[in-house]
Amino acid sequence: MERLTFSGRRKVFGIWGHLAFLVWAVVLAILAPGARVFVVLGLVVAFSVLFCKGGLRPLRRWGFWFLVASALALSPFFIGDKDVSLFGLGLSYQGFWVGLWMALRGVSIMLAMNAFSSAVSIAEVARLFEWAGLKGLGFAIGVAFNMLPTIRETIDTLYQAIKLRGGFRRKRLTTLRTLAIAVVVNSLRHGDEVVSAAQARAFDPKRHGAELPPPTWADLALGIALLSGVWILTS
Amino acid sequence: MRFTVRDLVYIAIFGAIWGALETTLGSYLHLIFPPVVTPLIGVGTIMTGLGMVVALVGRLFVPKRGSVVMIGLVTAILKALSIGGVRLSPMLAIIIESLLAELGLLVSREPSRWGFALAGSLALLWTFFHKFFGSYVFLGKGIYEVYLGLLNAGARALGIEIGYAFAIIAVLLLVRIVAGGMAGWVAWELGRAVQVRLAR
Repeated sequence: MERLTFSGRRKVFGIWGHLAFLVWAVVLAILAPGARVFVVLGLVVAFSVLFCKGGLRPLRRWGFWFLVASALALSPFFIGDKDVSLFGLGLSYQGFWVGLWMALRGVSIMLAMNAFSSAVSIAEVARLFEWAGLKGLGFAIGVAFNMLPTIRETIDTLYQAIKLRGGFRRKRLTTLRTLAIAVVVNSLRHGDEVVSAAQARAFDPKRHGAELPPPTWADLALGIALLSGVWILTS
Repeated sequence: MRFTVRDLVYIAIFGAIWGALETTLGSYLHLIFPPVVTPLIGVGTIMTGLGMVVALVGRLFVPKRGSVVMIGLVTAILKALSIGGVRLSPMLAIIIESLLAELGLLVSREPSRWGFALAGSLALLWTFFHKFFGSYVFLGKGIYEVYLGLLNAGARALGIEIGYAFAIIAVLLLVRIVAGGMAGWVAWELGRAVQVRLAR
């Protein structure tokens, strides 16, 4: 059965392929000398466009461009000897190029990380952590996600109840302490009900955790291509 | 790390409480105090302090090695599911802070007020280094030359010795150590109070 994304496009790589590409992109962005980081950036953009829906979303954030622009704009002033004069300002030719490589490296790493997070679901990430030894994390995330609305409602209800009784007019720290204790106590009592329900069903997170799928043929082919890329770009 | 069903549910609860604080109070504070406006002590420091209180209270109820890391992981993943979407920097910060808190608890061996204070201090110290760590990973070591250049230029513009800049940095680190220690202390007291209430 083909794996489909929400857009209807076929999902080519599994979690192992996407993880391999992320590690490759980050390592190469750091190691690739000088202008070769252009190649890394080009490959990251191409991969994001072809295989990761929403992979180029960081390009729309102003914070992302602020970081890049600051590296590019400030480096000629502070790195290397000032050998160029522009509008009366002493700038460094070496600093400009170092700033450019820094900016391209930052863009490559940011886009690679975003491509990974947009292609891989939270459930798969939880399964990855469980595979790494954190058994029960998927179960804990599921319980936390389901309890989040209840906890928010508990905080809101208790806050309103204390406020209506004049709780925050004087001795605010004491009132805050009372609120915190009440929230934790209520949440833990609710949690005990969840524990009872799980134990009544003989639930065991060690046995019930979903397995991580093995690497697909596409993942293996990508891995081989990426290893070749490491050798080509760093030689 | 072996956790029972009860341990995992409690981890989930404390992760959900921290996550609820991050997604509500954290988002509200970020709107009022954007990160660019408060680069030295900002919303991240406050939210980490609150998060450490929650996570360390959780440690009292799941007194096993790795429970604080698990609480941090649950929080980080819940944060990814929030309205802001997947933002790797704060997620990574939460995980690293949890790891440092766990390290502090490992050093102190037995659960104690001072162990919690050490854990809180280590976690809050990271809020200072996180931006520099992120800059190094994304931009490389060249960015440190830029930072030093900015520091020198700023000192020259203000007419003060560069040593004062390092003194300011030392003060910022001290503030974080004290705030983290207080967070750990509060967590110990709060956790004990909750245990007394539940025992009734």
